[in-house]
Amino acid sequence: MTAEHFAGPGGPGAVPRLQVTGVSKTFGSNRALHEVSLEVAAGEIHGLIGQNGCGKSTLTKILTGYHAADPGGSIRVDGQSLRQPVRPLDARAHGVGVVHQSLGLVDDRTVVENLRLGRFRAHGVARHIAWRHEREQARAVLERLGRPLPLQALVGSLSEEERATVAIARALQDTQDGRGVVVFDESTRSLTRAALEAFYAMLDDVVATGTSVLLISHSLEEVLAATDRVTVLRDGRTVESGLRTAELSEADLVHALLGRALDGAGARKPADPDRPVVEIRAVAGKGVQEAGLDIARGEIVGVTGLTGAGHEELPYLLTGVRTAEQGTVSIDGRAVRLAGLDCAGAIEAGIVLVPEGRERQGLALELSVSENLVLPQRGGPGRRALSRLDRSQDRELVAEWVRTLDIKPPRPDLNVGQLSGGNQQKVLLAKWLATRPQLLVLHEPTQAVDVGARHAIAEAIRAAADAGCAVLVAGSDENELAVLCDRVLVFREGRIAEELTDDVPAERIVQAIYRDAVRRPLRRSRVPQQTRRT
Amino acid sequence: MSATLQDTRLEQPGRANLVHTIGSRFSLIGVWVVLAVVYAATEPGTFLTSGTFQTIFGSQQALVFLTAALLCTITIGEFVDMSVASTLGLSAILVPVLTVDHGWNVWLASVVAIAAAALVGAVNGWLIVRLGVNTIVVTLGMATFLLGIALWVSNLTPVSGLSHSFSLIALQDVAGLPLGFWEGLVLMLGFAYLLAWTPLGRNMRFVGANREVSRLAGIQVNRIRFGSFVAAGTIAGVGGVLSSAATGGFDPTISQSYLLPIFAATFLGTAVLEPGRFNPLGTLIAVYFLATGILGLQLLGVAGWVSDVFYGGALVIAVTLSTLLRRRSV
Repeated sequence: MTAEHFAGPGGPGAVPRLQVTGVSKTFGSNRALHEVSLEVAAGEIHGLIGQNGCGKSTLTKILTGYHAADPGGSIRVDGQSLRQPVRPLDARAHGVGVVHQSLGLVDDRTVVENLRLGRFRAHGVARHIAWRHEREQARAVLERLGRPLPLQALVGSLSEEERATVAIARALQDTQDGRGVVVFDESTRSLTRAALEAFYAMLDDVVATGTSVLLISHSLEEVLAATDRVTVLRDGRTVESGLRTAELSEADLVHALLGRALDGAGARKPADPDRPVVEIRAVAGKGVQEAGLDIARGEIVGVTGLTGAGHEELPYLLTGVRTAEQGTVSIDGRAVRLAGLDCAGAIEAGIVLVPEGRERQGLALELSVSENLVLPQRGGPGRRALSRLDRSQDRELVAEWVRTLDIKPPRPDLNVGQLSGGNQQKVLLAKWLATRPQLLVLHEPTQAVDVGARHAIAEAIRAAADAGCAVLVAGSDENELAVLCDRVLVFREGRIAEELTDDVPAERIVQAIYRDAVRRPLRRSRVPQQTRRT
Repeated sequence: MSATLQDTRLEQPGRANLVHTIGSRFSLIGVWVVLAVVYAATEPGTFLTSGTFQTIFGSQQALVFLTAALLCTITIGEFVDMSVASTLGLSAILVPVLTVDHGWNVWLASVVAIAAAALVGAVNGWLIVRLGVNTIVVTLGMATFLLGIALWVSNLTPVSGLSHSFSLIALQDVAGLPLGFWEGLVLMLGFAYLLAWTPLGRNMRFVGANREVSRLAGIQVNRIRFGSFVAAGTIAGVGGVLSSAATGGFDPTISQSYLLPIFAATFLGTAVLEPGRFNPLGTLIAVYFLATGILGLQLLGVAGWVSDVFYGGALVIAVTLSTLLRRRSV
């Protein structure tokens, strides 16, 4: 078989590489999957998308054997039925490999250990690991990918691209060229753009041999740019099966995901030239050489740039999370010195941060929605430690924000960890909006969040701006910035290098970010389709 | 958009949910009642006496104070403070040693004993919070160190001879139970109020759940952590003084026998009232639940080894239960 044979999805009559038919899954009284079907052809990258809670993680977990499907459905690989519930070793024997979220690597172990984990064979009388054999195996699979790596290096010391290589190699090592299917479960979301390009270059080589890829992702842009066909799940059902992405626009995908079109963002209020302004002056600290900007009340300003350009550090320097060397923020003529500012001081001055790491920095997952939401008001600074908490006041506040942001399920007593990612992000935003900030700083506010939640979050940020808050959004997702921002500032080497004003489309942001660096398309084999994107 | 705004009302937990909630909150209390009924039915002559009641509720004050001390640090996310039992032991031995052996005023000796315990907490806090040393290592070392100090100051022997009037701070009869019981009850109620109703308590919960989230919300994380260690030491110190008063002296080797019951009661407490959370009132109930279980078995004629088996078994079961409850809640 030649690579050309696989240029497109299998023709009529071809046996699909992976065929899921009529698979259902019931949790208690809750039907998570209704007779879901999915067909991945040989030699293609197939996307699987859907909102949080649509059932795509359940489906992945059935494929990996974590959940057992309800009786009735079937899963076939190359026409052969997989016994259910799926056993990992059985799946591996059929050539089904899975790369989980955040790649699933152990940082303080070597490349060869990460690659061979779970496959070590005991040798000899002492039942020891034959390291020479393991290294050969590891070297072989990396060579197949055409990307040799130092086998004894610690994975934590590798670059992101190299880490992605290790993860892919691990999933691929049980498949032979031209066979097997590798499932990527949201595994690309932490990759930088550069790493993403390398990742897809690698996948291009993999699918050219005839091996298939099932890519589960939140990023519609990525799915459009990188997959051949896409299957859409909504509320546990397959609503679109195997659509060719070359014939789709992002709006088509959104429509399929939600079952309706998104309301347009709507025109923003024209700027009032006399609005008071929040002045940010001479900020310097880790990653930022010197940055100054003005944000009018009611204005949403974006900052972006390549990784390491400084825009990612600015939010943390402004809010006292990381100590700045110098700089001031003036709100209504009151200057706050950033050197020596701590979080409590920033919050008291009305400067609040919605950080990027929801689970690490944003929310306490084992405490309730209500407790998390009122934390800055009830537990934070400026409160007498032993004054009595007013619970009815809390309840009203929480109810108001649950309604405003349409947090689902509307149960403030649930622990935050029990909510879906999109709803957790809404709680995080509500927690800080409820403080009625003067300057709201957000870092990647809609990262890894489904389309519906993204819309609700954008609406809430706009509403905050309309109510007189100055908003700063730091991020590298040009679509997010284009939707949200009135102006976008582009960082290069720790300084603001360019300002984009007046209705900034995503394309202009991309051009400005990659002014010097050339941004390559995600998949070389699909260059012509790139130009079609809306 | 506006239609959905009106549609989303806050959901109340349904009836099935309510049954479930009550079940998970009060099941241990149910087991407690069943246990008492079984004992009462099998040993009506001995179990159903006021003496039994007195023993169960009047003899656990050291354990109540120790679990409260452990809760101070466990709520702020320090999983195991191994030193609280030895801290209580140090404080408890200092009172008779200073008073009986050295002729100090008993009240002054008490104040010094509590201050010493608070100092132990401060040293723990300084090592763990400021220097970032591992909690288990610091407190395990501290536990053995303090035990040694207690044996040294007491010359390896029990010291007794405290006055009867001093013993009244723990044994004065109030409504049929010794004052020590009421002191433990007030301590736990106060602690529960602190956690549930004050900003400080809320902050402690958040520090325990996620330090970085707390810092970003403007909470002085390290101050709260340090304060919790000092509070743990102080509470153990007060508990020590009361133990000493109740028995008229102290045996320095006895403090170690508290270690396992403290953990058993504290973890079992996560299965009561607030499932999945360490909580003072649940812990208090667990203390008396365990005391009932052991006393009943002893009355049934089971020998002295029963308390080891019971507390050890209860600890494993309680930690398992606690882990399962926490897993379900995230």
